Amino acid sequence: MQIEYVKGKIMEGRQSGFPRQYGPERSDHQPGIPLFPQEATRDLVVTFILVAMMFFLSAFVTPFLGPARGPQLSELIVPDWYLLFSWGLLKVADIFPQFTIGQGTPLKTEFSAAFWGDLLSGIPVIFLLILPFIDRGREARPAKAPVRSAFGLAFLIAWIFTSSLYSIREVVAQRWVSPNGAALIPDFTMKWFFIIPPVLVGLTSYIALRRLGYQPMRRWLVPYVAGLAAIVVAQSAWILFDPAGLGVEARPFTVEIAIALGIIAVPTVAVAAAVLLAPESTARKVSTWAGALGLIGFLAFYGGVAYLDQPRALGWVLSVLWPNMNTLVLIPMFAVLTAWLGTRRPYSTYEYLLNECYQCGKCHTVCPVTKVEDDALGGLNLVYNTFKKQHDGVPLWTCLACDACSAVCPLDIQYSDYILEERAKVHARMAADGGQRE
Amino acid sequence: MMETEYGPGRTIPHPVMFRVLDAEADDTTIPEIKVEHKSEYAYYPGCVDYYDVEMQFSHMNYGDTNHGIIFDSSIKLLRAVGIQPMILDRSFMKCCGHDQLWQGKVDIFERMRDYNTKIIKMLGVKTLVTSCAEGYRTFRLDYKLDGVRVVHITTFLYERGLRIPPQPETAKRIRVAFQDPCRSGRQMPIDPVYEEPRELVKRVDNADLVELKTFRADAQCCGVAQMMYCNDKTKGLTRKRMDEATEVDADYLLTACPKCLTHFGCLHHENRWQPGEERYTYKVMDITQFLAERLPGDYPTGSNVDTKRKEPPLPGRRG
Repeated sequence: MQIEYVKGKIMEGRQSGFPRQYGPERSDHQPGIPLFPQEATRDLVVTFILVAMMFFLSAFVTPFLGPARGPQLSELIVPDWYLLFSWGLLKVADIFPQFTIGQGTPLKTEFSAAFWGDLLSGIPVIFLLILPFIDRGREARPAKAPVRSAFGLAFLIAWIFTSSLYSIREVVAQRWVSPNGAALIPDFTMKWFFIIPPVLVGLTSYIALRRLGYQPMRRWLVPYVAGLAAIVVAQSAWILFDPAGLGVEARPFTVEIAIALGIIAVPTVAVAAAVLLAPESTARKVSTWAGALGLIGFLAFYGGVAYLDQPRALGWVLSVLWPNMNTLVLIPMFAVLTAWLGTRRPYSTYEYLLNECYQCGKCHTVCPVTKVEDDALGGLNLVYNTFKKQHDGVPLWTCLACDACSAVCPLDIQYSDYILEERAKVHARMAADGGQRE
Repeated sequence: MMETEYGPGRTIPHPVMFRVLDAEADDTTIPEIKVEHKSEYAYYPGCVDYYDVEMQFSHMNYGDTNHGIIFDSSIKLLRAVGIQPMILDRSFMKCCGHDQLWQGKVDIFERMRDYNTKIIKMLGVKTLVTSCAEGYRTFRLDYKLDGVRVVHITTFLYERGLRIPPQPETAKRIRVAFQDPCRSGRQMPIDPVYEEPRELVKRVDNADLVELKTFRADAQCCGVAQMMYCNDKTKGLTRKRMDEATEVDADYLLTACPKCLTHFGCLHHENRWQPGEERYTYKVMDITQFLAERLPGDYPTGSNVDTKRKEPPLPGRRG
């Protein structure tokens, strides 16, 4: 087939100029096959074939499934791993108030634990369904939409991770016990997992993503990190100095417990002080070192205690730390991590970023130069040809550096940085060859 | 060096202006600096004086595009908000180096940067106001001016609360469109200038702000950047952009970048070559000129403006 004929068919009925125009009266002309009816028909065919195969197999090749599971067969019943979150939500639902409305009417609704659990399991689905209608923003890049991304990550942590963990609370309570037989992670602590880690993850992601977009985040970092440090210090002080803080049985191991709490609290306080008082670059260094040393110290301490034939001491240290996991383990970790992410220098070099490119071609779609070039019908792709050093360097020098490509890039690649460096290289090469081209 | 299928026209053009500006960078001796008003607020006019000369030399502008008035208007506006800026005159400053950087001449850019940084530090500038989008980007991102706040003039006027007095009753309603320069918008990861010019235009009581088809971060480029690769192809982009202003029936097309003004003015001029075939009936001007025209009082006279002149400089080659 002749290439001109193909090009003619592709451009048929299309206006010259931008195929994709932004702004209030934007008219999208997206190339490709429409969803309805072409794609839908094909998908339905595939779906029906699969359903037919399933019916066939279930009718003629019936496997023996065995008796259904029940409390008589196994003590702990859990569904498959991908449904654990729903199981955990059902288990946690008894924290909600239980009441009945509309007693004696046809609309009687019983707000029991089962009802609340169903509701919680349904919320993610409902939320995902209505999300496109709530969020009409055009920004598709997670790094450029910090609020949305932070909510999403917090949601994943809350609904998927912690609720899955909570669904096996019996196993956790049974396996991990302190020397006096109490659960190391009590039910109370696990219930707080639904609140504390998601909030920490959400705030940390928000700060990190905003910083990625070159925002000065001091106003967020100072109260956040300082507040977390205050919580850690207060909790440690309460454990050590309040008579009710340490149990009677743990009291002989006060020194070990104090060292463990110090390893946790000192880096957190150091990072908070650095964020509060020192300039950003210093705070960055302090948070790097505090994080690394804190982690190494933490591991070395536990290794040392276990190695020095002090398993009893280790058990008692853990019995202090693990029930307070939300405050004593998660908060210091997130405080240091947030300070580290919130004081970093946002990237500006192109190598790392350009290699992230997955050739979605959005940049080519919006590039203004290709629309006025002779071979705009597919010959010249400014970004791609520059990257491959094709077209004798023409794409490199025709670029306007208007950054329309960077504005739509899903990976936020600053293409103009690349242009800057490449042009500088060409001039450096010419200078090395002994003179400028005229 | 290379034989392209496009011919030599597609390689870097070397207008006279760049020869002059590049040659300037070689001389790094600091001349005698005379500033009229010593102040912590400094205003850097950029290369606007060169543009008028270059555009007339290149036969691109016998029309009413006037770059020099950006300088006068900026001073007038800054005085209106109570600032008597120290003018970083081109007699002792060099070009900011934006074009040299983007043309790949990094060594020349670095010489200019080091020289300018030295002067700015020497004069004790705290706030550097620029009326040029490219200068804003370059001073903000490519220079290392620690302790100096670089700010675009529209941001500065907006912050200081510029008031435009009520226009006379007889003044008819005008529709004003604003072209977002790439350099002060999309290319600024910190403090992009989108809202401030629009807010300032809204303060003119007989002006209606209209948006072009593409605006803010999506705004289409004016067609030519860093004074390279200007030909009939890129003029098509300029035309497309100016047609957008025709579509929204604008009376004024404003921009905050002298380069956009140059290229719009060039096409504006070209389309008036034959009488009666005017494609563009609206006016193209810098936002500072638009605002300053709506303020009462004379244009002030800066240090590189004729002190005896009482009227705004005449447009085009007579200016």
